[in-house]
Parts: sequence; C-alpha cells; structure tokens
Amino acid sequence: MNCRTTLLGGASILMLAMPAFAQENDVVIALNEELETVEPCMASQSNIGRVILQNISETLTELNTDDGSLMPRLAESWEDQGEGTWRFNLRQGVVFSDGSSFDSADVAHSITRTLSPDLTCEIGAKFFGGMTLTATPVDDNTIEITSDPAQPILPLLMSTLTIVPSETAMEFTREPVGTGPYEMTEWNVGQDIILTRRDDYWGEQPEVAKATYLFRTDDAVRAAMVPAGEADIVPLISQIDATNEATDFAYPNSETTYLRVDSNIAPLDDIRIRQALNMAVDRAAFLGTLVPEAATLATHMTVPTALGADVDLGVPEYNLEEAQRLVEEARADGVPVDTEILLVGRLGNFPNVTEVMEALQQMLSETGLNIKLEMVEVAEWIKYYSKPFAAGDQPALVAAMHDNNRGDPVFSMYFKYACDGLQSGICDEELDGLIADATAQTGDERGDAWRAVFQKAHDLYADVFLFHMVGFSRVSERLDFTPSIATNSELQLSQIKIK
Amino acid sequence: MKKFLFKRAISSAISLTLLIVAVFFLSRLTGDPTDLYLPIDASQEARDNFRAVHGLDRPLIVQFGNYVWDILHLDFGDSIRRARPALEVVLEAFKWTLQLALITMTLVSVAAITLGSLAAFNVGGFFDRVATFFSLIGAAAPDFWVAIVAIVFFSLTLGWVPTSGTGTAAHWVLPIAVLFIRPFGLILQVVRGSMITALSSAYVKTARAKGVTPKKQIFVHALRNAMLPVITVIGDQAAALLNGAVVIETIFGFPGVGKLMIDSILQRDFSVILAAIMVTAIAIFIMNILIDLAYAVLDPRIRY
Repeated sequence: MNCRTTLLGGASILMLAMPAFAQENDVVIALNEELETVEPCMASQSNIGRVILQNISETLTELNTDDGSLMPRLAESWEDQGEGTWRFNLRQGVVFSDGSSFDSADVAHSITRTLSPDLTCEIGAKFFGGMTLTATPVDDNTIEITSDPAQPILPLLMSTLTIVPSETAMEFTREPVGTGPYEMTEWNVGQDIILTRRDDYWGEQPEVAKATYLFRTDDAVRAAMVPAGEADIVPLISQIDATNEATDFAYPNSETTYLRVDSNIAPLDDIRIRQALNMAVDRAAFLGTLVPEAATLATHMTVPTALGADVDLGVPEYNLEEAQRLVEEARADGVPVDTEILLVGRLGNFPNVTEVMEALQQMLSETGLNIKLEMVEVAEWIKYYSKPFAAGDQPALVAAMHDNNRGDPVFSMYFKYACDGLQSGICDEELDGLIADATAQTGDERGDAWRAVFQKAHDLYADVFLFHMVGFSRVSERLDFTPSIATNSELQLSQIKIK
Repeated sequence: MKKFLFKRAISSAISLTLLIVAVFFLSRLTGDPTDLYLPIDASQEARDNFRAVHGLDRPLIVQFGNYVWDILHLDFGDSIRRARPALEVVLEAFKWTLQLALITMTLVSVAAITLGSLAAFNVGGFFDRVATFFSLIGAAAPDFWVAIVAIVFFSLTLGWVPTSGTGTAAHWVLPIAVLFIRPFGLILQVVRGSMITALSSAYVKTARAKGVTPKKQIFVHALRNAMLPVITVIGDQAAALLNGAVVIETIFGFPGVGKLMIDSILQRDFSVILAAIMVTAIAIFIMNILIDLAYAVLDPRIRY
C-alpha cells in the first residue's frame, strides 16, 4: 500500500467516523448537565423544563413572560366559580403522542399524580405545597378545580402543571407522553435526547423538525460547540465566554441576588443598622466588574416584570459617611454594634460569588460593623437559609439568589417576609397583614396590594437587595431565536425559526 | 493457583466489606438529602414523606442493616436522583469508563514499552533525550489544561475532530489522546530505567558478545526481565483510569463512572455512591489478580 492509498483510506475512515451533517431544520442544543429524569412532573427543574415544558408536555395555561399576562394553552378559557373553585374549558381535538385523546380525566389524573406524596414531584412540592386540590370533571371538555385554601391565582398555578394521560402510572416515567408539538423519540443515556416533531399536533406546526439535546458540563466546551458547528443553542454559557456580539445574548434570568438580614437579632433589629448596611454597598461598582454589566440594581425580591413591581422604589443611596454615622448613632444608644455579624455566602451560587462576597464584607465592615465572611457548600448553606437558622442567636446576613419567573410575588413574599415564612428574617405584623391581603386579592387590586408589600419591605430595610441577574446564551447565526427570561426554565422549540 | 485465587477473593471481600461500612456511614454523615431534592419551600409533610419513601427516617444502624440485607440479595437500591436502580445507572457509566481505560492503556503500554526500550538501548543519544524530554513534559502537564488547549487547537482552529461527546469514533480521539499523555510519560520512564538495568546485565552482554541483533537483545532477552516493575506501574495507572478520569470525563462530556461518583456525592445519592464503589472495587480486584498472573507468566520463579 503506497502513501497515497494510505492517505485516501485514512481520510475515508475519518469521514465515516465524523457525525452526519444535520438537516437544515434540525437543531442541536447543549445543556450544562445531563438529564437524570424526563419525568414531566419534574419540569420545574431548569434543564428538564428546557426539554419537556411545552415541547412534550403542555400546561392548561401559559405565562406570557413579556407582559406577565396569562395565555390559554390546553385550556381555552377559565372562570372563577367562587369559594376556591375555578372552571376550565378544555381545548377539543387534542391528542397525546401515544394517540389517546386529551380530556378532563387526564387533567384530574395529572393533578393527583403531581401532588401524590409517593412521587415527590418537584412541581407539586414547589407550587402546590400546603394546599389541597380537588379536580372534578364536569364533562370531557370541562373541569372544575377547587383549592383549599382558596387560590386566587389558580389559573397561574396551572401554567406550571404538566398534563399527562390518565393511563400514566404513579411512578416516574422514562417515556414521557404529552400533547406538545414534539415527542421524545430517543434517549441515549449519557449521550443525548432527541425530540421529533409530531404530525398530529393540535396547533401550528413548528419549523424545527428535530431537536437533539447534548450534555456538556464544561463551560468552555459548551461555548466552543457553536463556532465548531456542533451545537446551535447553548442556553447557558459563562460570562467570560460571552465575547461574540453576533451569537451571544444576555437575558434577565429572573434571579435576584440579595442579603437576607436576620432582623430579629441585635444589632440587626435596629433599623438604623439595616439602613447603614444598605447604604454601605456601592452596587454600581459591581456592574461590569464582578457582576455582568447587563444586570440591573434590585429594589425588589422579584424581577421588575412581576405583578405589582414598583419601578419607582429607589435603590438605597451609596453613602458610606451616612452609614458610619448611623452605626455610631446606634452605638451611642446602646445597640451592640461590635457584635460579630456572620456573612454567609454559597459557593458556586453565581459567577464570581466569592469575590462579590469578599467585596461586600469589605464594604459592610467600613461602616464600623464587625462582619465575618463564611463561604459554604449548598447543603451547609441551606441550613443558614431556612428555619431553624443554623446561625442560631448570632446575627447573620445570608447571601442568596431567588428565582421567581411565575409573574406573581406570592411565590416569594410569604416565604421571605411573613413571620412564619421559611426563609424570613423579619417579623412585622403590618407586613404580615399586607402579605395576607395581597395573597387573597384578585384582578387589578392584586397588583396594588403587592405594591404595598414591596413598599413596606423597602421602608423596613428588611433586606439588602443587590442585583436582578442576567444569564448568557449562545445562539448560532443560522437561527432566528432570542433568549428571554423564559430561557431560564424552558426552551420552546416552536419559537425557534431557521433563517 | 486455585488456593491463591481463593485467598485473594477472601482478602478482597474483607477489604470490600470494610470499604462499604466506611463509605455507608461517612456518606450518611454528609447530611440529609431531603434539603437538596425538595424545593427549598417544600412543606414539612413533603419532607417527612420524602424521608419515609427513601428510608431516611429510620435509625442509621437500621438503614445499614437493611442495606446489607439488600446487597446480599443483589439489590443495590434505587438512585434518588434518577429514580432507577443504582446498579443499572453505575453499570451504564462504567461501560464508558472501561472502554476508555482499556483503549488508552493498550495504546499507552505498546507505545511506552516500545519507545522506552529503544531509548534505553542508546542512553544519552538523540532519541533518548527527545523521548525523556517529552515523557517528562507529558507526566507533568495538567489534564484539564491539555484538554482545553487540544479542543481549541484541534477542534476549533483546525476542525479535525469534535470538541466533545461520544457519538462516533472521531469523538474518542481527543479524550484518549489527552488521557494517553500522563501514563505514557510515567511508564516510558519506568521502562527506560528498568531496561537500562536489564541491558547491562550479564546475560544480555553475553548475548551481545554472541552477535545477537540489537532488536533481539531488547525485545527477546531484556524485555521480559524488565517488565515486572513496568506491570506494576501499568496496573496503578489502569486502576486510576478505572476509578474514573473525572476531569477528562467532565470536559469531554463522557458519561463515565468518575463523573457519576462526583455528581452522586454532591447530590447525596447514597445508593449510587455505594454501587459505584462496589463496581470499581471489584474491577480493580480483578485487574490486580490479572497483574499477579502476569508476574507468574513473566517470571517462572514466581508461583502461587
């Protein structure tokens, strides 16, 4: 065999070994971790949601993340029947990917299954904890759902509940069946998941015919896959890799970073100290340095598009001298300002978290307060974050990042600010009353009521808000797709167009 | 031989038992997985139910007793994270690691033994100096750095091979090449040293005096005697790969057992941690027996 034959043979083998070029209407999506399950009732986990939500499994309603409105999906309309009962009128002519017809029995079963204590579904625990739902089919296309206690936002909650056929067993499935525009046709564990477009989908046919999901943990590798032609969309790349304006997008990821203040423990129980903490942080100095430039200064626990968010609530002014004066004034009044205050950060919580925490410690210490920084792993951090707080009687500031992409502050404010809230560092009767009032409101009054809650939390300097964060995505130039706040938890293939 | 195998099986079973006891209790000491698996605002009822479903509500010693009883029945429990049998999850991952380790170590062994022997034949010569220089660099270069540089150069710049993944033969090129470098450097050095000693021994000198060709001096006369320390190093390096090349598996998206172990520890997925340790320990036990048998083949004075 001569040299030429050897080279030709080698080239032929290499060509055979290389992956086949994707069809024009196929896309490849690189996720940052492998999917351990494809169970629809776990779709609130971001990567499971990016594969399952509205692609395979649909919901009764759908949140429009652009304006916070609620759109029909499998339910065409809904009415409040009073006393916690809502009637949903279901879309007709819908079939699951296994060929069975969608009806009210499927909705009833999906509710039972998602809330079953035997399954420990994340959607059940996250959105429906502490309530009982009773689903009563009226006919094949109508169902009444009653919640106890009554939920004024039940239709919004239904935007989280993935619908499965009534035959689905009460155990985690490895073959998800849904009404969505795609079905899972392959799951090669450890390698990829492939979704293929359905011909019998009830809605408009999407452009993307096939989507392949790959799993790559390393940030640099994921980012390299788009220019290498191996991936079309990488929903999450690191900030330092986002260097190409043509392919890289910053998008609000619905996360808010903040310091939870233990306001019930001295010296943090003194409002002057909490005000001083807020005034000591030069938030603007972080932007474009340790925190992405596209992030915005936070004034609320929720993102600005959430119901009742008040854009006029001011960011506390950076004024170190005034912060020092407030601390000294408190000291003069006998407040134990020299007590060690624990500043707890969570390793890996967001990019540059350690550096951000070190800078915060420096800034907060300049007020004259005694701040001790401790960075801990997530399992340890949770003990500081949820009651009973691991810090015990020691005053603590716990750095956290809170995600609320559902559009309603009810998913945030009770847990963060009510006296009984699992992660609440404050107990204020008036604030409790405002939260209870807002939770029970419907219609336009609900937004106004939440606005009052935000104002009160702001007046109390209940926490030190930092930033509404952004994530970074890389999208191939051959696609017409712009990541949005929804990309943090879902990636609807039907929204992707081929240029 | 049968007696030897029996003795090794007993001693390995004792080691494995101690390992399981240690890992079981140490992993439980890392904390309750409930907080990691349930949403942070999950109700107490949901938490209690989760613990009951996964047997975490029972006293630790009862959990251990149940676990031992189950593994005696070849039931390694279910992965909390994946809601699947833990052994199934581990064997799927181990399949990848085993293939990666086998291919890499075969290539490394052939290359390092051949080049190390040739380097030893002309100590201080040009080939020896080049081989020593590159083997030392190879043994010292950090895996993750080499991997990223290789991806940038061979995948992004030249476009010769994919960045990562497992779909085709081309996907294996970079991970194997990167994994190759360190053991190749180490083994080449050991082969070279061992061969220098063997080539200076009386029986090789005699063979040389009788006019035996250099090729025969190295590969027929000296190599067999030089191989014993080399096999030990090959065994160590292979064991390290079987335990999982965590960095390489992570960077190149290889769903191997090393990455699975790290993920399972972080996720407090106890059944998977224990099953992974059992599977890799048994594989290493089998490999050690094979190495012992190789000793006997290479040196007839060794008998079991």
